[in-house]
Amino acid sequence: MSEALLDIQDLHLEFDTFDGVAKVLAGVNLTLERGDVLGLVGETGCGKSMTALAIPRLISMPPGRITNGQILFNGEDLLQRPTGSMQQFRARHLGMIFQDPTTNLNPLFTIREQLVDAVLYQQANVKSVPGRWRGFLPSARQMRKEAQSRAIELMGLVGIPDAELRINDYPHQFSGGMRQRVLIAMALAGEPDLLIADEPTTALDVTIQAQILRLIRSLVHQLGLTVLLITHNLGVVANTCDKVAVMYSGRVIEQAPVRDLFHQPAHPYTQGLIRAVPSGSTSRGGLQGIPGLIPNLIDPPQGCRFHPRCPQVLEHCASQVPGPGAIGSDHLAFCHLYPEGA
Amino acid sequence: MSDILLEIRNLRKDFVQRGGLFGRQEHIVRAVDDVSLTVPRGKTLGLVGESGSGKTTIGKCILRLMEPTAGEILYDGKDLRALDARQLRASRADMQMIYQSPSASLNGRMTVGQIVGEPLWIHEGISNNGARDREQDLMHVVGLKEEHYFRYPHEFSGGQQQRIGIARALAVRPGLLILDEPTSALDVSVQAQILNLLQQLQDQFGLTYLFISHDLSVVRYMCDEVALLYLGKIVERAPVRTTFEDSRHPYTQALISAIPEPEPDSQNEQIVLRGDPTSGRPARGCPFAPRCHAEILDRCETDEPPLVTVDLAHQVACHLHPEVR
Repeated sequence: MSEALLDIQDLHLEFDTFDGVAKVLAGVNLTLERGDVLGLVGETGCGKSMTALAIPRLISMPPGRITNGQILFNGEDLLQRPTGSMQQFRARHLGMIFQDPTTNLNPLFTIREQLVDAVLYQQANVKSVPGRWRGFLPSARQMRKEAQSRAIELMGLVGIPDAELRINDYPHQFSGGMRQRVLIAMALAGEPDLLIADEPTTALDVTIQAQILRLIRSLVHQLGLTVLLITHNLGVVANTCDKVAVMYSGRVIEQAPVRDLFHQPAHPYTQGLIRAVPSGSTSRGGLQGIPGLIPNLIDPPQGCRFHPRCPQVLEHCASQVPGPGAIGSDHLAFCHLYPEGA
Repeated sequence: MSDILLEIRNLRKDFVQRGGLFGRQEHIVRAVDDVSLTVPRGKTLGLVGESGSGKTTIGKCILRLMEPTAGEILYDGKDLRALDARQLRASRADMQMIYQSPSASLNGRMTVGQIVGEPLWIHEGISNNGARDREQDLMHVVGLKEEHYFRYPHEFSGGQQQRIGIARALAVRPGLLILDEPTSALDVSVQAQILNLLQQLQDQFGLTYLFISHDLSVVRYMCDEVALLYLGKIVERAPVRTTFEDSRHPYTQALISAIPEPEPDSQNEQIVLRGDPTSGRPARGCPFAPRCHAEILDRCETDEPPLVTVDLAHQVACHLHPEVR
């Protein structure tokens, strides 16, 4: 299947701050096909989380402002939708999980209450029944009961052992990895098409990280999910994703299938990023960082935003924003070293 | 001068948790359990483990920022636990710590010059104005510029802030640096810069590092020797090459296989462990037994395996690997 589930085109996002207008996203292009696991990689402040929050329109405006672009979901531009219908859209099509599983669960309620709420909420938004059929709806008690068995089923799906017992526990009785599983179960309650995972394993230990990533992969196979996995860890991407998009300072600068990206990185920034990860063969003193600092978003460099740090900078890098250059099939780099359309 | 700069013998640290009505029930959590370590002069020892394994507690016990429950800590042959308050303060000039969160470990109301100069004032009584040259030398050594002298920490990026922390630690010319996850809050490109700086400083000043980290790929790059902790116990200790190429303990093997390598065609079979360490230690037997993926012997559930030498400078605490004499 090669039908695009999500297609972001030329998305521009700005924030008003006391120091001026921060141009947080400056033309993000991103395509996700059904069944893909796409890794969105980049360093702090490159706009990866902002892109993720812009898709379900969870960015508060003001101070945010989308000045240009389209977010096409199944061909429909989400930015044109009335705000009131977004909630229903999120319930029906989207699931989100975040970095810190602790702060996303309410410590005062048991997992049962929180999961059942999520299930009922999804159902209420999915099945909007016209008024005169209301009487034929199952009673509230019946719905709660069904929602509970659905919650237990979801907990089993995400690999929480003894779901019937543990559903009565409070969040603090769960470990970090188990809490993240609860949140994944919650995100899956509405049988979403797209799962947005924003640094889902950053707060977890490596052995637990391996468990959660394995779970996400198996859910993709089982449920036919499409996943947008946001991370700063290149190792996680290499092991989990089919495709990768690398972001730098508000733009996607390279998009490629995962093998191509690691074996033939085209953009100098991607090359630098891969070299900066220590591997077994790195000798003492041989690790290379990327010199310089990430650019200021209020007054970003003209042209290619990476040019002040780029080792292969050309003359027109400072004036023109590079367009997409094709490296191979499905492999695009936004860099003047690879001329557009070549 | 002996080759061993720091030696820890049978270090133990218990924390008391109170529960029940009026806190009458006591529950003892043994965060560090009978840990012995040696750090050779001028080398780097990596202390690796997951959250809750006690690695930071060991670091803090060495500096006596936390009082150990039992055990000896010998720095250059002196027992640090026998020192009185005044001597302890003096000894801290030899041992400095660098923390995980660079922003939280710098005082936001002090300029960079004041931050870097404060240890000189405390330990050598040099006032802030008298040490300007030395302060600027230190800033230069860690790659900060002269014009940064009057700036405040919030004006710097995370990597630059970590450089300020390193300059402050070096101010009193310490012999030992305890690096507690110095790069885990940083991006990879910045992490590479800081790791290189630390190596260069080690060569330049002959520093000894105790490198606390959960990131094995960083440990492989930085350390000469690695000690792996699991729930407060050392499970394996070996030179860094041995740790990565010939590890014996099932936990080490699982941890190494779980590092996500930036290589999509990696042939490594990942060992995914059951459960997590928060479920606590079993009352008897090997602390790792409930999660172990290797063969479990009867003994694993009854006797705790001692740390034994299996090869030159290679120690393992596992019943599958008996002592070699």
